Amino acid sequence: MNSSERKSGKIVLPGDSLGVIEEFTPDPGTYVKDGIIYSGIVGRALLDLSNKRVSVYPLVHGAKIPKIESIVLGQVSSVQAENASIRIFKIGNKQLSGFFTGILHISDVQPSYVESMFDVCKPGDIMRAEVISEKNQVYHLSTKDRNLGVVYAFCSQCGYELEAKRQTAYCPRCGKIEKRKTTLDYGKGAL
Amino acid sequence: MSQKAEKLIDKKGLRLDGRKPDELRPIKIEVGILSNADGSAYIEQGKNKILAAAFGPREMHPKHLALPDRMVIRCRYHMAPFSVQERKSPSPSRREIELSKVIKESLEPTAFMEYYPRTGVDIFIEVLQADGSTRCASITAASVAMADAGIPMRDLVAACSAGKVDDTIILDLMDTEDKQGSADVPVALMPNQNAITLLQMDGTLTSEEFENAVNLALEGCRKIYAMQKEALKTKYVDVKEVEE
Repeated sequence: MNSSERKSGKIVLPGDSLGVIEEFTPDPGTYVKDGIIYSGIVGRALLDLSNKRVSVYPLVHGAKIPKIESIVLGQVSSVQAENASIRIFKIGNKQLSGFFTGILHISDVQPSYVESMFDVCKPGDIMRAEVISEKNQVYHLSTKDRNLGVVYAFCSQCGYELEAKRQTAYCPRCGKIEKRKTTLDYGKGAL
Repeated sequence: MSQKAEKLIDKKGLRLDGRKPDELRPIKIEVGILSNADGSAYIEQGKNKILAAAFGPREMHPKHLALPDRMVIRCRYHMAPFSVQERKSPSPSRREIELSKVIKESLEPTAFMEYYPRTGVDIFIEVLQADGSTRCASITAASVAMADAGIPMRDLVAACSAGKVDDTIILDLMDTEDKQGSADVPVALMPNQNAITLLQMDGTLTSEEFENAVNLALEGCRKIYAMQKEALKTKYVDVKEVEE
């Protein structure tokens, strides 16, 4: 491998060698085998010659799974007294081809006391949440931040889209008033 | 179909389609042609036309198939009813089930399975038109589809077959050569690791012929690898130009 081949910004594919561990510290997007650093993804090689680090900046933003602290968007699939299960279909900005299942416990809904999970969300609602743990093979979610919670809700009586009204959600068609843990940007199309 | 071709290799040493014994069929690879899949590839190798799509990593369903420490690759190789001259029943045949398993196992060594515990990657391979060595072309396309899906991989996998007809070792068998020849050796290779991920043999070869066939197939794999790289690079260079 000569030096002209090794340029920052060059497109690399899985298996392309980037250098040896004596010259660089391998960073994300790379892997090491037998002392040689290879690219693990399709991306652009980033050679940091002053800090002696090499990484690959991905050109495809695929292969995302929920991680702790990632913000996810999902639809409430079922609600029990203390838990709600959520079908995650978006992680950050990345739309998933499948979905992951997350669990929101009543103690993680908001800092103050919550009487019942039915006052937080109902099946069919779209929620934004943060992943706080992936222990026990389940993604545990939290909506304690003011930007987290229900972003879209539907009337449990007539199915119409609810409007946020102070602390409650109000159905403009049938007049039903429901309880939701809404976000600040509720109903603003911020999906 | 059953009438025997007089000679599979003519006096000049050329094959039925005019190729030299160590020549590949013309190959065209396209990347990212299915918008619903996370990654996809289309390959034309001679008369073979094969689509491959990769989905995931995503939650495994049914859940009991998920593994706690790594992801699972599921693969479906399927031939369309119109892919061969006589209509093929669309239900998965014994051969297709076996090929699905073989293709899955030849792709598993490349993926970083341990990065995505409890998830699954689904690979769908649809043979639209078959003309011999479809398992090799499928592996080639599937590995490009996986790279296009952004799944971290150690290397791409390129596959190619070699075999024997009329006492000559030839590269990249087509359907008639496969059916009337005396042996077929499909090989899949991770070119940068120099590791073989698939090696099968059908027919009879002496150990010397086998060695020659494998070496010829490996050479073919390296040529196909160059085309895979080219295809992936063209796609991402084009994408960048559109953005700018």
